[in-house]
Parts: sequence; structure tokens; C-alpha cells
Amino acid sequence: MKNLITCVFMFWVISLLSQNKEVLYGLEETPQVMLLNPGSRISYDYHFGLPLLSQISINVGSSGISAYDIFQESSVDINTRISNKIFELKNTDFFTATQQLELLNFGWKNKENYYFSGGIYQEFDFVLYFPKDLAILAWEGNANYIGKEFDLGEISASGDLLTVYHFGANKKLNKKITIGARVKLYSSILNFRSTSNSGTFLTRPSESGNNIYEHIVSNLDMNVNTSGITSLSELDTSTQITDKLIDSALFGGNLGVGFDLGSTYEINEKWTASASILDLGAIFHKKDVESYQVSGEYTLDGIELLFPPLGNGTSSTPYYDDLIDDIEDAFTVDTIYNSYTQMRPVKMYASIKYNFGRKIGGDEVCNCLKMGENQEYNQSVGFQYFSVFRPKGPQIAATLFYYYRLSDYFSLKATYSADSYSYSNIGLGLVTTIKMVNFYIVADNLQWYSNLAKAKSVSLQFGLNIIIDKNE
Amino acid sequence: MKKKLHILFLFTAISTLFMACVKDTDFNQTDDIVISPVVALDFIFFNINSENFSEISPTNLVVTDTVFFDFLNEDFTVDNLIKADFYFKNKNSFPIQLITQYQFLDENNELNYEIIIPINLGSISNPVITEYIEIIDENSIVNLTLADKVVVNVIASSTINNIDGILNLESKICYYLRVEQ
Repeated sequence: MKNLITCVFMFWVISLLSQNKEVLYGLEETPQVMLLNPGSRISYDYHFGLPLLSQISINVGSSGISAYDIFQESSVDINTRISNKIFELKNTDFFTATQQLELLNFGWKNKENYYFSGGIYQEFDFVLYFPKDLAILAWEGNANYIGKEFDLGEISASGDLLTVYHFGANKKLNKKITIGARVKLYSSILNFRSTSNSGTFLTRPSESGNNIYEHIVSNLDMNVNTSGITSLSELDTSTQITDKLIDSALFGGNLGVGFDLGSTYEINEKWTASASILDLGAIFHKKDVESYQVSGEYTLDGIELLFPPLGNGTSSTPYYDDLIDDIEDAFTVDTIYNSYTQMRPVKMYASIKYNFGRKIGGDEVCNCLKMGENQEYNQSVGFQYFSVFRPKGPQIAATLFYYYRLSDYFSLKATYSADSYSYSNIGLGLVTTIKMVNFYIVADNLQWYSNLAKAKSVSLQFGLNIIIDKNE
Repeated sequence: MKKKLHILFLFTAISTLFMACVKDTDFNQTDDIVISPVVALDFIFFNINSENFSEISPTNLVVTDTVFFDFLNEDFTVDNLIKADFYFKNKNSFPIQLITQYQFLDENNELNYEIIIPINLGSISNPVITEYIEIIDENSIVNLTLADKVVVNVIASSTINNIDGILNLESKICYYLRVEQ
């Protein structure tokens, strides 16, 4: 148990992350912005990302706790700090980890001014909600909670490891509107999901009068869906496991389909709005599926002794074994091999910005900063909205940002976000495009970089691309 | 000059991102984490009347039953159980004194721990409740976790044949666990 807790803490120290890429969104100098809004404005003719280096993204987070909260150097005993946090956290608090590694990314503009782009990336996504009642039960036991119903349905977690193949098109319809769409094929490598659980555990003074207490498990209905995991457990060598994972990544696993949609609308010279919806789709798990379901209810009030008259050599009544049998009979444990459908976590972005500063680009006669044919000013401020649908409802973030194009090869974006992790997340993104080499790096929660242990979430994205603009 | 300043700024900013650190923390404190739940569980219960004695013989003074508790000597219990509080609530309507005896025996039927509770006499119209608490502390708990069964004896001080009455037992145990690395 202790090792488990340690692993959980260490995991969140190194990996807490959300799926929001609030800094990267709208940074139109980077091709990866098309993965956040396929309707972004594109000002170049070709791009391709350096394989394995065009986007490395990690994001780890916890909505209610930081590593410092538990492991700070303090005169207060660590067990007291853990205990305090267990009672402080809510059952809607969560731990998340998301990681993306872009394997391939390319794009080109055709003669009709459509910009096509495609690529492959690998993604890991995990979310675990804090099962508060179970944590209290494990940490303190039930002795001080006679009469309290512990909610077993708080268990809620899901995890995905998949490869995404995508191809999209982007088109500037007129001076004001740019739209885009992207189709995605998901090749699931591993998946587990346990999100629709219910049941309670209660210890109360006996109402039947048989004994001191009654321990009651009511309406238990718990399930876990898995795919791609059972066959791995049957493999012996790391080579076999690697081969299996690669096969699953290359369409050998469970497949799915999804869409991204997005648009940018230039309201006028000063105001620009954009919005996108991502991962509108599902994965259909049909192969290597194994699901487990437990249901039932039981009331335990101890073991009743009957004092049967036994002769010499007669064995005693197997009370304990009978009790275990009764409990096992009360709960139905099923292993199910039926296929299941998993909706992807739908993400939505929306933003509006006000452009100001020095006039650049556009149709103006200007040899200053070339932001792209639509950019009129070298600075902007704005507001962004982000949400991702999770098992217990959407996680939402609101962001204020400031964008500044310092020169034709260097721009930055600073953000201030309020999200599920904190109300004061400061982010910064830097983009350089020197000759054809485009490099970007984006991070948030910068206020905690002097001591990351105090951050409830951390995210970092960076990448290298080659961008070709025939007009330059 | 301006270009150089921009590059310097970029270099500084990127360097800063990669110079993030973790401080004022001590992850070796994981060694100090101790999980200490107190688990309250029902133990045994029974209702005994004179027939339980007379079915054996009219002059029988002892009835016995045995219940196996396999989990008592399992590794998890042996490693982590530090204390156990037993609570027995006896309601006696027999007009004679009784003794209940709980013998914790190991696999070789050797006695490792014993609890003996004298039960006050009562009457049908006025059953008497005798409560008893046995606290097995850290020094003695090993005797409990060596056991895999409990032999329960109910001993009458005199013949109980054809005497109306019931001995009712309710009981519970609080297990104090200490789980650490």
C-alpha cells in the first residue's frame, strides 16, 4: 500500500499534465497549431516536421495537490500532511497525464490555395479521479466511521495509448474566413476504462440484533473495460511485447475514427475570433478485449456458532469457509469479451483577440514584420476558452494572452490561465523562424519553475519544423 | 544589435525553462509514511439454551465449538497487526453462572492465547448483561497471529439440564494495523 502511494506521488511529480495547450493555440507561426485549430491561418507554402522532433509534448497535473504539499521539508509529520490532504481533496479532484510524440508532420499548399497537412503522432492519455471515500477507508479504517456510507462508485479512471494518423485541409474562403477540417484514424494500442461504477459500503449498529454491527455492501456494480492488455500479459519476452505494441500502433490494434473542425474569422482589422473542436470521434474496441464486471450485495454480521453435538473424530463446522463461499456467491464476477466503443475526449477551443501595435504584413505596403498575409499588427491581446470532456464532466480553462511579434524571426506569447489546477497559471511560448528552420518551445506554470514541486500541473511542448514560403 | 538582443533573450528564456528545479522537498520522507487504519469487524455471535448442553448428556457442563480464522496467521496480518481490542457482550438469562472461554490455537493445536470471561447469572425476566473487553497489545499480538482457529467453550457451574434460559453473545474486534515500508 505504501509503495502504491509512493508511486502515485512520484508519478504526479514527474508527469502531471492536462490536455490544454493554451500557449500554443493561435501561435500561427508553428505548423502544429493546425492540430489545435485546423482552420488556422496559414502563411507558408510547405512544411514538414523533423521526425520525432517536430512536437514533443508532456503535460501532467493534479487539480488539488502538489508534490510540495506532501514532501515539503517541515516539522509537521508527513502522515499528518497526507491525512490533511485526503480530507481536503474532493472526489472530483483528479490526476492527469498526457503525452504526445509527433512521428511525422507535413503539409503543402496547392494551386487552389488549399493547404493540406497530415502526419502521425503517438499519444498517451490518463485520468484518475480521487476516490476520496476509499482513501479515507484505507487510511483510517471504518472504526471511527460507524454509520457512514462509503461510496465505492467514486472509482473512476481511464487510460489510452494510441497512434493517430491524420490528414486535413485548410482553406481561406475569403478575406475574413478561414476554415479547416481534419480526419483522424486512431489505432489503439492499449486502453482501460473504469468509469461507470456504483455501490456503497456501510458499517452500522446491527438492526437485526444478531451482533454488534452489520457490514453492508449495497448495489455494487463495478466494471473495467480493457483492450490490448490481455494478450500482452501472455507474452514472455520484451521483444515479443515490443513487436506486439508496434503491430498495434500500425493499424494492428483496435481502430477508430474522428474529426477536427475549426475556423478563424477576422471580424475587422482589429478583432479576430477563432474556434475549434477536436477529437470528435470514437475507437471501436473489438480485438483483444477483456472486461470484468462485479455486482451484488451482502450483509455481514459475523459468524454464528451453533455448538452442534460432535462425536469423537467429527470435524467442526467450517464456518469461515462457508462465510467466504457465501460472500463469493453474493457477488457475481463476470469476464466479458464483448466489444465496446470508447468516445474520445472531445476538446474545444475558442478565442477572440484584439490586434494593435505596429502595422505589418497584410496588403499594406510594408517591408516590416511578415506575419502572414492576414496579420495586420504585431501585437494582440485576447481571451481563450478550453474544455475537455472527462468521465465526470468537462474540465475548463480560461486564458488571457498577450502576443508580440518582435521581429520577422521571433515572436512570443504570454498567457495567464485559470483552470482546474490553479487560478494563476502563467505560460510563455517562444517561436523562431530563422531561414526555413522553425523552432518553438512552450511551457506553463512558469511561476513555479523556481520550484516545480509547488506546481499542481506542468506542461512543456517543443519542436522543430522546416517551413518554406515561396514569397520569401 | 537588435537581432543579437533577440537571440540573447531567446537563449535566456529557453535556458530558464530547462533550469527548472525542485527544492525544499525531501522525497526520502516516503520511508516515514505509515498507514494506520483501525478496522472494526464483527466477531462471533451465538444463542445457547439448555438443549445445547443436554444433547450431549443430561449432566454435561461444557459445550464447545471451533471456528477457523485463516486470515489471522496470514503474512499481511502477521506483518501489520499491532493491536486488537475484543469486545464481548453476554446476555445471560440462565439462573446460574457461566464461563466463556476463547482459546486461540495454532495449526498444531497448541494454545497461544486465551480469554476467559465469567458470566453473571440472570433470569428469564431479567437477563443480565456482562460486558468484557480484552486488549491485546503489541507485546502479545504475536500470540494471536500464530493462531488459525478459536475454540469457544461455554462452561456451566452446575447442571443446566431442563433449566430455562439463554446465553446470548455479541462480539466485535477492532484491528489496529500499521502498514509501513
